[in-house]
Amino acid sequence: MSRRSLFGQDMTPQVRRYIGLAALAATVAAVSSILLLAISGWFLTAAALAGAAGAATAYGFNYLIPSAMIRLLAILRTVSRYGERLWSHQAALFAMAGLRGRLFARLVAQDNRNAPDLSGGDASARLIGDIAALEDLIVRRPTLPASMIGAATGVIIAAFAGWQAAVVLLALLVMLPTILRKLGTRLTRTPARDAAEALGKLRDRYVEYAAARAEIIAYGLADRVTLELNGIAAELDRANAQLFRGEGVIAAVLTIYTGGTAALVLMSATASAPRVALALLASVSAIEAMTAWARTALRQARVEEGLRRLASLERLPAAPFAPSTRGSQALALTIGDESVAPGTRIAITGQSGSGKTLLLESLAGWRTSVFELSLGDRRVTDIPSATIRDQIALSPQDAPMIAGSIADNLRVARSGVDANAMWQALRIACLDQRILTAPEGLDTMLGEGGGILSGGELKRLSLARALLAERPWLLLDEPTEGLDSKTEALLIERLRAWLEESGTGLVLVSHRQAPLTLSERMLAIGVVPRRQLVFPANAMRPPAQQDGESE
Amino acid sequence: MISDKRIHGFWMLDAAGAAVFALGVAYGVSALVAVQRPEWPAMVALLLGPILRGVGILGVHWTAIDEAQRVAGGWRERLFPGLLGRRTNKPLLAGESATLAIDHIASVEAYIARFRPARVSAMIGPLIIAAITAIASWVSALIMLGTMLPFAIGMILAGTAARRASERQLSALEKLSGLFVDRVRNLPLIRHYGAEERIGRQVSGAAREVAERTIVVLRAAFLSGAVLEFFAALAVALIAVYCGFALLGMLPFTPPEHLTLERAFFALAMAPEFYLPMRRLAAAYHEKQLGEAALQTLEQALPEVPSTLSSVARFDGLVVKDLTIDWPGVRIRPLTFDVAQHDLVALTGPTGSGKTSTLAAIAGQVGDIDGCVTTAGGGALDAADIAWAAQRPLLLPGTLGENIGLAVPDASETEIVMVAERVGLGEVMASRGGLALAIDHRGSGLSGGERRRIGLARALLSGRPLLLCDEPTADLDADSAAGIIALLVEIARERAVLMATHDPALVAAARLEVAL
Repeated sequence: MSRRSLFGQDMTPQVRRYIGLAALAATVAAVSSILLLAISGWFLTAAALAGAAGAATAYGFNYLIPSAMIRLLAILRTVSRYGERLWSHQAALFAMAGLRGRLFARLVAQDNRNAPDLSGGDASARLIGDIAALEDLIVRRPTLPASMIGAATGVIIAAFAGWQAAVVLLALLVMLPTILRKLGTRLTRTPARDAAEALGKLRDRYVEYAAARAEIIAYGLADRVTLELNGIAAELDRANAQLFRGEGVIAAVLTIYTGGTAALVLMSATASAPRVALALLASVSAIEAMTAWARTALRQARVEEGLRRLASLERLPAAPFAPSTRGSQALALTIGDESVAPGTRIAITGQSGSGKTLLLESLAGWRTSVFELSLGDRRVTDIPSATIRDQIALSPQDAPMIAGSIADNLRVARSGVDANAMWQALRIACLDQRILTAPEGLDTMLGEGGGILSGGELKRLSLARALLAERPWLLLDEPTEGLDSKTEALLIERLRAWLEESGTGLVLVSHRQAPLTLSERMLAIGVVPRRQLVFPANAMRPPAQQDGESE
Repeated sequence: MISDKRIHGFWMLDAAGAAVFALGVAYGVSALVAVQRPEWPAMVALLLGPILRGVGILGVHWTAIDEAQRVAGGWRERLFPGLLGRRTNKPLLAGESATLAIDHIASVEAYIARFRPARVSAMIGPLIIAAITAIASWVSALIMLGTMLPFAIGMILAGTAARRASERQLSALEKLSGLFVDRVRNLPLIRHYGAEERIGRQVSGAAREVAERTIVVLRAAFLSGAVLEFFAALAVALIAVYCGFALLGMLPFTPPEHLTLERAFFALAMAPEFYLPMRRLAAAYHEKQLGEAALQTLEQALPEVPSTLSSVARFDGLVVKDLTIDWPGVRIRPLTFDVAQHDLVALTGPTGSGKTSTLAAIAGQVGDIDGCVTTAGGGALDAADIAWAAQRPLLLPGTLGENIGLAVPDASETEIVMVAERVGLGEVMASRGGLALAIDHRGSGLSGGERRRIGLARALLSGRPLLLCDEPTADLDADSAAGIIALLVEIARERAVLMATHDPALVAAARLEVAL
């Protein structure tokens, strides 16, 4: 996907207007900058000649227009630069706001079973970085045409010193963007990629070690671990240093290029001194106007990477939105050869690591199924995700929460749910007392990692959320972990009443004994046949596969 | 600082290059007026000046990144062991710790590589340029310096406005930008419950709000840019007008200096250079803000932890008396209990109640606690007497044998095989290449239970008399859990074992349950 079409849809009239204004302001800034210096030079030289010719000539010299021009240009340059910066940022910010919205809409419309995995910190950080790189691209977009117009102005002014000077300047200006692009690619492509890779690796490894901190302290392994991390940090440093020095090289090349240009223009100039002064300073400023290209050249590698990744997300199919419905006709489950009628309560048993969580998640359409599972008369793998989610509410093992209030999290399951229903669900999950005493009740904010709630409490909040969804099947993964046995018994009693009253079916996974009393029958996971799947490169993989993967 | 001096030198080279170039321009133009002068010195100067500048720029870049990475490396040398391997006041979340040790250090690196050289340039650059200009025209130099005062006042005013605007908006902005990341991370949940439309609207709304609020901040921030731009242009314009009128002989006062075209042109060509260092500084403003904030945080990241270094006593049992923890989110009431020399004690409580923190406090890994932790004889506990079996044990890239032997690098292969078999890793070794089994840092190919057994084997091999276990049976199936419980019971016949758990079967096997 080209840069054009990725932005194309973002170009609201508002954004287009801002880009236009910014380009106009940038042009005025570039031209007035060149004129300011050029006219100053011409004025000085002409004044010197007039002054040398005697008082009469001096008084005949029209100094009013050039000196007024100089002052006007100074003000014009200031104002237009301000406008350029403001408008170009305005364009970029609004364009990116649009892109974020559209990107999210596209991502959220994907099927959990084959959507790209963006849950990890690195993946989401990268997405944010890509969007920021793109924003940078839009910010600098108006400066590129402006620098061309500035350069053209420089060439026209240089023509006052003779056509040879103009031709020389034109040739040098035309060559410059290509030189910068080639040099930029050479200097930054590999280190930019290496730096991103090393940073991801360092973060990954560091988090792993931070989690094992207690052992590192106990056995005095700090030096060993530091050595390991420093090895990766050295790779990162090497790549970053190359990038930074690359910037220096580009800046130095640009400076030397300016000098060469000035010398060549001076050499090829044929006109009188004031005109040569005009041309000389105009050429220097014209090269300076092209510095925008140097910045573009330096960031090009990163922007291209980002664009490629964003474009791959844009290529995801755009599915029409299918609102979920409550109260769908309940379908029967088939797990392996076992048929489970609607409203039945079963427990899946098996050793840890045998894939019970995997089975629940497969059933809920969170991942591609490796088990033989059917919903109604069709295999789960063949059913559209909208059908699955009308049937099933899963409370996952890790109880994910969105940043927001408790009520925000409950509303995820059912928008427009009222406070009464929320409290009722919280009561069943034995969390109502806890939330009542929380500082702001339902509006208490959950920060990153759950905030004030403990792991067990988050789990029960997740249960309450699943209850609110009111789907024919409830899937619970270790719902009572971390509960004392009294509260556990109360929760089970309330949940049983709710399940019976609503006729909801239950598929349960629990290491603890008490919740298993909810189930009418047990199903050993060992008897569920598995299929060997070939995973497409981009698909979400089951943990077993992920673990087997090395970097 | 040595590198600051070198950067000084390179900026001087840059300024000298600028002067040579200006000389070339001035000479070249005036040579055209006075026909008898040759043009080649101008050519040489026009080429030589930029080469000097180029060398200066390269020198600055090379020196700055070396210095920045040296400092960053120094921070890593302190923070990696400090955060990962030493006693701290409070334990940090892994994410927080990574932010400190990776992101903040990166901000410091950018600060030193970009802002510090710009600051050096801003401090010496304008004065050097003015001094060089004064040789040709001291009035022009005065004009340059004269614009500095209103410039400084303007910057202060604009800067204050910008700071006020950003302070008002910043926290709201951070929260709103975080929303997008959060919702992207929770996509599976949002899809599962069909909340696309509502959350989508929320995300779009927040994105628009971020844009609108950011513009308010930028509008103020760009004002200081405009002030800089204005005075840079003003300096050029004033010098051009002054020199022009002086050359015309039309100044309303007697010119205080004798100007020639060459001198005037030189002053004009130097005028844009005067404000260049300020522009460099302005370009590094973002790095300055991030870097200073990061430095401040880093300096507080490793507070002095009061060391309890008294002479240690031989381990003859553990006595915990009135141990109290009071951190935000974790509160442990005063705990008092004993662990005999050969004993099995369970520390129980719901998830998040602070079991791991209590273990860490007993192991002397956190400082911010009250109460006494001693040996039975009342002496100080020796850190080298404490083994730790983690819920998710540390794995370093290497072999299985190396990983088991981490705490005892000189252990013989026989010893390692013995403990490995004792904790039930025999089957893994038999089927997957014995102690030479290659292990990466993720523990690819190992189950949670196998990983936990490696941690136990490591603890056993260390031969330390007190074993602290963090959730030894969590997430294990009944069979595996029973195996671990039996093993712990056996170990408790020869050592003191204190374990954090909420597994009733494990609690039942313990002599004593300490409930948090």
